[in-house]
Amino acid sequence: MVIMRIIWFASQIAFFGLIASRMVAVEDYFRYYVGGLSVMTLYSAAVFIGFDIYEEAEHGVFEYLLSLPVTRRQLVLGRSIGGGLRAFIYVGPLICISLYVIGIVNPLNFLLALFSLFLFAFGVSGMSITLAVVIKSSDRFDILMGVLDALIVRLSTAMYPLSFVKEANPIYGWIANFNPVTYAAELFRWGAGVESILSFENPLLPLLGIVLFFGFFMFVGIVLYDKSIEGGGWR
Amino acid sequence: MPPIIRIENLTKKFGNFTAVDHLNLEVEEGEILGLLGPNGAGKTTTILMLATVIRPTEGTAYVGGYDVRKNPDKVRELLGVAFQEPKLLWVSTPWDVVNWHAKVCGLSTQERKQRVREVLEALDMWDYRHRSVHALSGGMRKRVEIAKVLIQRPKIAIVDEPTAQIDVVGKHKIWRMLRELCDSGTTIILATNELYEADVLSDRVGIMHRGRLLVCDTPQKLKDSIVGGDVVEIQFEVEPSPKIIESLDQFKEVVKVIRTKASTLRLYLNKVEEVVPKIMSTLMMEGAVVSSIRMSEPSLDDVFAHYTGLTLEEAQKGGR
Repeated sequence: MVIMRIIWFASQIAFFGLIASRMVAVEDYFRYYVGGLSVMTLYSAAVFIGFDIYEEAEHGVFEYLLSLPVTRRQLVLGRSIGGGLRAFIYVGPLICISLYVIGIVNPLNFLLALFSLFLFAFGVSGMSITLAVVIKSSDRFDILMGVLDALIVRLSTAMYPLSFVKEANPIYGWIANFNPVTYAAELFRWGAGVESILSFENPLLPLLGIVLFFGFFMFVGIVLYDKSIEGGGWR
Repeated sequence: MPPIIRIENLTKKFGNFTAVDHLNLEVEEGEILGLLGPNGAGKTTTILMLATVIRPTEGTAYVGGYDVRKNPDKVRELLGVAFQEPKLLWVSTPWDVVNWHAKVCGLSTQERKQRVREVLEALDMWDYRHRSVHALSGGMRKRVEIAKVLIQRPKIAIVDEPTAQIDVVGKHKIWRMLRELCDSGTTIILATNELYEADVLSDRVGIMHRGRLLVCDTPQKLKDSIVGGDVVEIQFEVEPSPKIIESLDQFKEVVKVIRTKASTLRLYLNKVEEVVPKIMSTLMMEGAVVSSIRMSEPSLDDVFAHYTGLTLEEAQKGGR
């Protein structure tokens, strides 16, 4: 799985990124794309925790987790952070590859960007857990995540600058403006020094967006996890 | 001393199906309370409600003074649960599973290392500690499940069919360890459908059937509650005279005397251990020569049958 991802990632950079950057009349598009690709991959990896929820249901692990001497808040927070960290471990080597390709200009900026990527991964894990416990069907969850992946990733600035998205359709632009993938991609590029095509002049705005995204899904996750996963109620 | 667990009208419905029906029960601190009943009697659902895993539909329970509805976090701090089906994290080894559990339960590193080793060794699982849980037999998985509670040493331990799938030697070992856990101050709720297990381990036994608690008392009192449940079979050298039969019939504990063979009498009575010496002295006074005497007291299966009209096996086959 990890090897497959690395090969896919490397070929996206080596083939698609290089070729597309020659087709697109956007300055520094290659580095722009590599930054976005890292965030897209991180998103896909962090979403995986939702599938674990179904595996836990199948193995009856819910009852065990719910009987442990921890609060529901600690449980959801632990699961989200665990899912986010696991995603980071999977995607870590790929981020290193992209950093090698992009190069880091300001280490301090990069540390802040890395922190925001952590929050982004935890938030995506929280979102995935929340949706999994609400949907309660692995097939439907699979479909929804496919649809979300198509919408969230494509209607973001992961692959193309915000100005082009807005130009294509103002609604697309509006969605991209309030999209956590956009915030993560922008911050990562800012941290890595790809500053020629930043959509937000002030990096605090995407940082605030990511914090809100993380906080929202932590809160909703805690409430819904407790309400939805009642032993015997999950069918 | 107030009971450590007080259950009041606890009810759980799944749609139209009532799994637990207005259960009322008190558990004293430091006792082992056996919940005996066939599969589907409502034992596991009761346990899940006490462990705050599922919410009651009606009624509530107070665990260590905390309401399971209002203070579930406080309740869970007091509890340790060993589930009927082993709940293992599917990518782990026995060592990972119990070590993680001990860590979540707040044991210090030193304490954790020591207890994990002690318990896994005592359960003959130390040699298998780094094996994948996939490679373990059902009995081994069950040992890992029970190890969690033994390592945790909670204030209240709930064990659901702790020795299912485990061999006889292993069963005795686990019963001894549970008894030691109780002696060290842990109150234990034991859900089981094994009569012998409930009999040897429990201070009191509650019999559940169709979501209801039929009766709850010490195993001995439950057996004694069956009128004429004890049986004494006396074989005489020669055919006993009607006078002997009449004198035996006069004991207030004797419910019925029947002649099964010419020289054999079967007595249905109560409190066999108290009345047999009196019977023997009467027979000696009457000059009757006894060649053999056989006594049997009712089992918990008889108690179950007495209250439900079904043997445990029949109730099991009937589901509920």
